[in-house]
Parts: sequence; C-alpha cells; structure tokens
Amino acid sequence: MTPVAKEIVPWIVLSLAAATLPSIGGDYIVGVGMVLLMWLALTQSWAILSSMTGYVSIGHVVFYGLGSYVVVVSWQSLPLAVAIIAAGLVSALFALAVGMPVLRVRGPYFVILTFGLAELVKFAIIALEARMGIASRLIFGAPSIQFIYYAMLLLAAAATLMHIVVHRSRFGHALRSLRENEVAAESVGIPVARYKLYAYVLSAVIPGMVGGVMGLRSTYFEVTQAFDPTISLTIVVMAVIGGGDGVYGPLFGVVFLTVLSEVLWTRAPQLYMVILGLLLILFMLKCPEGLIGRYTTWAAAREGKQR
Amino acid sequence: MTLLDILLSGQLLFSALLLGSLYALVALGLNLVYGTMRLLNVAHGDFVMVGAYAAYGLLTLLGWSPLWAAGLVAVICALAGLCIYELLFRSLLSAQSSVTRIESNSLLLFFGLSVIVQNTMALSVTATPRGYQYLDEIYRLGGVAMTGNRLAALVVALVACGAVGLFLRFNVFGLALRAVIERPDAARVVGVNIELVHRVSFCIGFATAGIAGVLVSMMQEFSPFIGFPFTISAFIVVILGGLGNIFGGFIAAFLLGALETYGVALTSPNLSSVLLYGVFVMALVLFPQGLVAHRATR
Repeated sequence: MTPVAKEIVPWIVLSLAAATLPSIGGDYIVGVGMVLLMWLALTQSWAILSSMTGYVSIGHVVFYGLGSYVVVVSWQSLPLAVAIIAAGLVSALFALAVGMPVLRVRGPYFVILTFGLAELVKFAIIALEARMGIASRLIFGAPSIQFIYYAMLLLAAAATLMHIVVHRSRFGHALRSLRENEVAAESVGIPVARYKLYAYVLSAVIPGMVGGVMGLRSTYFEVTQAFDPTISLTIVVMAVIGGGDGVYGPLFGVVFLTVLSEVLWTRAPQLYMVILGLLLILFMLKCPEGLIGRYTTWAAAREGKQR
Repeated sequence: MTLLDILLSGQLLFSALLLGSLYALVALGLNLVYGTMRLLNVAHGDFVMVGAYAAYGLLTLLGWSPLWAAGLVAVICALAGLCIYELLFRSLLSAQSSVTRIESNSLLLFFGLSVIVQNTMALSVTATPRGYQYLDEIYRLGGVAMTGNRLAALVVALVACGAVGLFLRFNVFGLALRAVIERPDAARVVGVNIELVHRVSFCIGFATAGIAGVLVSMMQEFSPFIGFPFTISAFIVVILGGLGNIFGGFIAAFLLGALETYGVALTSPNLSSVLLYGVFVMALVLFPQGLVAHRATR
C-alpha cells in the first residue's frame, strides 16, 4: 500500500461503521453521533488553518454562522443541496475577501482579531435583521435527524480527507515551514501570503456547510445562537486536547469532549463553559503538546529504550 | 436633531468625555501588563465586571458607599491579579522559549481565564442584569444636565489615571517599570528587579480594572458578560495610543469615546457594537504589527 492509502484506509473503515449507526441506534444515539461528526468536521477544518500554519483562530464560528444564515434565509426558496453549497461558497468568499488584510496580522493579534471579526459579523447581521424587522426566523419542514446525520458524516469525511491531503502535500509542508519561521519560509521562495490565504479559505468552506446543515436542526433561527462564541471555544479546546500535528489529534479531542458537550451544553451551559476554560488552561500549562503529542513522544522514547 | 445640534451639544460632549476617561482607565491596566510582560490579557474586561459586582455586593450586603468601596475593590482585584500571576504566568515567563510562543500561549490562557470568570460569576449570581441607584440627583452646569454618579465617575477616573501617570513619571519604581516596557534586557542589566516589576504591573493593572468596574456599576446595569467589549475598547486604545505611552493612551481613549458617542448619536444605538468591533478590526488591520512596531517608529 502507498503511504496515502495506508493513512486513508482506517478512516474509510470508520466512516463505513459510522454509516451503519442510524440503522442500529435510536434517535438519541444518532443525535450524539451527529454532534460528534459535526465537531470532527469543524475541528479538522480548523486544523488546516491553525495547526498547519500556527495562525490560531478563536473565531471560527464566523464561517459556521454565515453558512447557517445563508441556508436559513434561502430556506424553501432554494433546493437544500444548492443552499448548502451556497453556504460553503459564501463562507469561502468571505474568507477570501477578508483574508488578505487579516492574515497580515500576526501572532496574538491575529488570535484576538479572529474573535473580534466573528463578533463584528454577528452584530452586523443582528443590525441588518433589526432593520428588516425580523427578530427570529421559524423553520418549517426541516429535514429528519437521519438526513442531518448523513450530511454531517459526509462533511466530516470530506474535512478529514482534506486535512490528510493538505498535510501530506507540498503545500502542507510549505504551511508547516511558515509556521516555524515565516521570514525564513519566505526567503526560500514560499509564496507565504498566498499560501496562508489558501489555507484560510480551505478551512472556511466546510464550516460554512456544517453551519448550513445545523441551522436546520432546530425549528427557529437566532443570530446569537448561530454565532455563539462557545462553538469557537469548543473547537479550540478539542484541538488543544487532541494536539499533535496530524489528523488524529482532532479525532481524539472530539471524542474526548463530545460527551461532555452533549450532556452539559444545553442543560448547564455555564458549567460547561467553566469546564472548557479549565481544560484549556490545564492543557496549555501541563500538556501543551496534547494527548496525541504526548503519546508520540512516549512511544518514541519507548522505542528508543528497546533498541 | 440636526447634525450641527449633535456636534455642538454639551450633553454629548460630557458623555464623550466620561466614556473616554473610563476607556483611558481600563486601557491603562492592559497597557501595563502587555508592556512589561508581552501578555495580552483578554480577560482584562472581565475584571471590570468583577469590580462592578464587588461594589454591588459591598453596597447591598454591607451598605458601603461605592465610592468608598472602590479602595477595597482595588485591593481585592490587585490580589486576584497577583494570584493569577503566580499560578499561571510566572513559570511561563521564566521558561526560555520564544516570544511569539509565549504571546500565543498566554493569550489562550487568558481566554480560558476569561471564560471561567464570566461563567463562574453567572453561576453564582445568575446572568440577570443588576444595577442600583446611587448619587442620582441631577446637577446643571451651563446647559448640561448630569447626574451625580456620572460626575463622580468622571472625576474618579481622571484622578486614578493621573495618579498612575504621575507614579510612572516621577516615582523611581515607576521609572523602572517604564524602563522594563521600553528595554527589558537593559533594565535587567542596570539592576531592575524584573519579577517585582511584573508583580506590580499585574497588581496595578487589575486594580485599575476593578476601580473602572465600580464606576461602571454606578452608572449602568451590568451582567457577567459586559467585560469583553471593555477589553476590545482597551485594545483599540492601546493600539492607537502606543505601547507604554500613557499620554498617547489618553488621547486615543478620548478619541474612541467621542467616536462612539457621536457615532451612535448620528446613527442608532443598535449600531454601537458594530461600530466598536468595526473600529477594532480596522485598527488591527491598519497596524498589523500590533504595538511593538508602532512603538519603534515613534
């Protein structure tokens, strides 16, 4: 087997297993699976930008929210498939439009800027809706949970595949080199600005589509829910807990946290946020390389001993 | 009101001054902590919120007048700052890793802290907005009507800013603090106790945030989630005013206060958040190197 195939096969097996879930589990199990796949799609997309380039985004919800808004606004006037693709496109176009100036901002300023940008778009849309006299939008005839589950499976698989391909490609190596030292990368001829922009746009597409589909999960749409900063925070914490530089980190982080988010997010949102904050601080201080990173160094050390 | 009426209104000018002095006070703390340690404290505004609740608690439980309580609140917040420094950041700062790594990691730590502070507060006192009445008799000065609490807030904010400004200008330790902001390595060479400077910056930074919170609580309703917009406005002020530049910070704070007051008066209150975040995004996009390069060109 080629190395790429070797890396993809376990994921195909996982996807096939996940595809059988709706036929064996009840609505509750399918619901949890759906949430897990949603976080996987979001975190893998996030990793294409933030793990690969080191440009940490704490405002990735902006793409999710934009996608959500596109689908909800066009609900029952566009076919759903078209609306979801449009959601991805709008997110990507937004990333393309703001990417150039935003990605010139470096380090911690970029981090805080992503948060500010998400809030700006949220308040702009709230003001727009207020001007049009719309407080919240009702959604009639939303698709079944099984439909949403399969859509999430597709998106999670696509995001993972995208991450694998980018990770192994020449482009991915270039991204990692600019993460380690942007000036050095530029001096050996990597088109740094262009590549960062590509990574930004790639990491925006799938969150837009995920947001579009998830917007249909409840019967009404509220801007503050679609742009909830909790979503951005959860993505970051999942990625930090998983850690590592590859496609398995997000999977570990997502599995680790999904149950917690399922149990607590809707019932005790404040407690959930406190726990997320504690986990973030704990991992940043005690285990910044994440579970996967720690496992890799441990395995390498063991191998070294055996030799 | 016509455009001219709005621009000439003494009432709006007073509001702009008040908002500006409040922003100057909040930004002062952010500026010190960032300047001396390169730590971007995104939880800064949340300590404004803590100060507001502390004043509310002291008033409702012990009957302390908020203006007198401000001193105690400042001490509480300074101690909280000291604990946070010792627990989270001392080891991070002494580790010999690259500056960018420290900056990004510390931002995520403060982000986590911010989330914890907000939601712990919401869990313990609920998220319902609170408020109280204090010094609400109306004074008239020329054509301008102002409540006592707003007048008091303006005076206290200016005095607190002025005190820190004088400390940094004339006190030997204040000079050492500014030396650390401008040339940390050189300051160490001439014998400045860097760690003490870090501690004091944390204390002053958090104490001023707490005092600002007391002032906010006298004038408006507050909830556990009012902090972040204050962080954002403080950021704008520090970016535009320059790192460690207290005077530049004053100018920038009053500009921002004026921009927000007149901007909202000319459009609609619905747009105040859009305006604030819009200015923030523009400021960062125009000064993409953040504060350091800005200082170097000064």
